[in-house]
Amino acid sequence: MERIKGMRFFDPHIHMTSRTTDDYQALADAGVVAIIEPAFWLGQPRTGVDTFRDYFNSLIGWERFRSSQFGIKHYCTIGLNSKEANNERLAEAVMEILPSFLYKEGVVGVGEIGFDDQTPAEEKYYRAQLELAKEAGLPVQIHTPHRDKKKGTQRSMDIALEHGLDPRMIIVDHNNEETVKEVLDRGFWAAFTIYPFTKMGNERMVEIVKQYGSERIMVNSAADWGISDPLAVPKTAALMHESGIDLNDIHLVTFRNAIAAFAQSGQIDEADFDTVKDIDQSLKFNGSTVLRGGQQPRIDKQSNIIR
Amino acid sequence: MEQAYYHDRNNTEALLFDIIRQHSTEQALTWIAQQQEKLGEPVSVQRFNLTFTAIPRFTGRQVISTDTPFIEVAPDMPFFIQGYTLDKLVRVWWLLQLPAADRELYVKVIEGLFDAADMNEQAALYSALPLLAWPDAWVFRTTEGVRSNIGPVQEAVMLHNVYPSRHLEEPAWNQLVMKAFFTDKPIHLIAGLDERANRQLAAILTDYAHERWAAGRKVHPLLWRLVGPFITEDNFADIQRVWHSEVNVERDAAALACASSTYGPAQALLAQSATLEAEVASHRLTWETVAARIA
Ligand SMILES: [Zn+2]
Repeated sequence: MERIKGMRFFDPHIHMTSRTTDDYQALADAGVVAIIEPAFWLGQPRTGVDTFRDYFNSLIGWERFRSSQFGIKHYCTIGLNSKEANNERLAEAVMEILPSFLYKEGVVGVGEIGFDDQTPAEEKYYRAQLELAKEAGLPVQIHTPHRDKKKGTQRSMDIALEHGLDPRMIIVDHNNEETVKEVLDRGFWAAFTIYPFTKMGNERMVEIVKQYGSERIMVNSAADWGISDPLAVPKTAALMHESGIDLNDIHLVTFRNAIAAFAQSGQIDEADFDTVKDIDQSLKFNGSTVLRGGQQPRIDKQSNIIR
Repeated sequence: MEQAYYHDRNNTEALLFDIIRQHSTEQALTWIAQQQEKLGEPVSVQRFNLTFTAIPRFTGRQVISTDTPFIEVAPDMPFFIQGYTLDKLVRVWWLLQLPAADRELYVKVIEGLFDAADMNEQAALYSALPLLAWPDAWVFRTTEGVRSNIGPVQEAVMLHNVYPSRHLEEPAWNQLVMKAFFTDKPIHLIAGLDERANRQLAAILTDYAHERWAAGRKVHPLLWRLVGPFITEDNFADIQRVWHSEVNVERDAAALACASSTYGPAQALLAQSATLEAEVASHRLTWETVAARIA
């Protein structure tokens, strides 16, 4: 990690709700200055719309604040995930509350949506949410399925085009060697999730960047409650550097491209990456230095003494 | 009939809008006027909510500057706007656009805003508590704000906000002050701090000080401001301990606490230091100067 010291990173897909504050500290230390937290499946199916509401509220409230305490700018995408789209009664109710969240500050897209089992219900709510995105002028963050990935990815893109969305407004996630070419050829953004065992490893990622370059490609960690690595983005940058990939390409796939894609929401101001370091001082009382509230005191991990 | 507002809504609205006008671009003002028009008659709740959310996109979030840190919305009722961002000010103003005659509807709409509010929206809503109609409807909501884990939200409820001291019952008020100490807030910015000081709170805070000392941690000097008027033989030893502190600002706090006490031994203690006694008497030493030094 030494060789990437001083670089700034943007992780456009990470589920911090499932992570601890230690991870926030590690992210900040590794140079991650901003993140996007897509709405997803929490592992335990929800039984009522109120728990969805509370979850969405936590993404624009508590989690955003928790992140700011570590000087990391937190954005989110809001959507009904594909797994829970299969509970139609619930899905209908969630669709009703979605619009009010899509217009909130710092909501940079509709996501993560798309296919899981590729059922008719999944397709129905995927389409409905594409329409919401179009109306709100928001980018779409597409989750592609683990099973039957290639077909699921193609289908996701076909349907998006059918609804008249511009491929430049769509980030297709969880790509691999099999899907990347078509995604890029058709003009979409291609995101890669560096996730141990089930998705991409970062050595494979290095090869992809060598082969396809850095245009419209971005990497993320998708770290969640599974065995995952919140530092996947800086670690991949380090490995790319070691493998002789040009610094500018590294910068594009670990920072700039994701910003370019999601800033189309009009909700990303890079100046905020710095202001969040003073933990929203603008919200506080001008010039009043009495306010120390804010960044969490650091714990000295080298010491065995706890104060 | 019970009155919806206890301040002159129209006057408050005008005062706020003056400041908004000074800080807004032409486009932002046009947008605001359009929203006001589109709100309709009867008001569209959906439009009201969407506008409240959308405000920062059209006004921007620059910090406003004003000559005075507050506007006077009623006698003895300052509404602090110092350090406000423009979007926050417009949000507060926008809340005054909701018709208040139908109490039930009004409360339902405002509660709905709270229920779906992001961090900045929550801060704006809690800051606006003193200006909302039907003031007795927000007592529970205020205690929810105090329970919040989010710094800017806590601050919106606790600091420069006249609503809690006017409307919270003693236990809830004591919770607010206690939580403010707990979360390291600038205590002196709590409105009504001295007026609402009470014996029970002094006891809670004294216990808290003991816990801090036991853990080898420092005690916030302003804590003694709330104990001073309630010094008795039970807690006088604590005041003596602070008086003998090696830290200047703590000794100052002890002196001020003694000065606010009618307890004979406390007054005698203060008299032991001619210097401190004189500084207190001449107002060179006040709780404000103490607050400024611990910043
Ligand atoms: Zn995910």
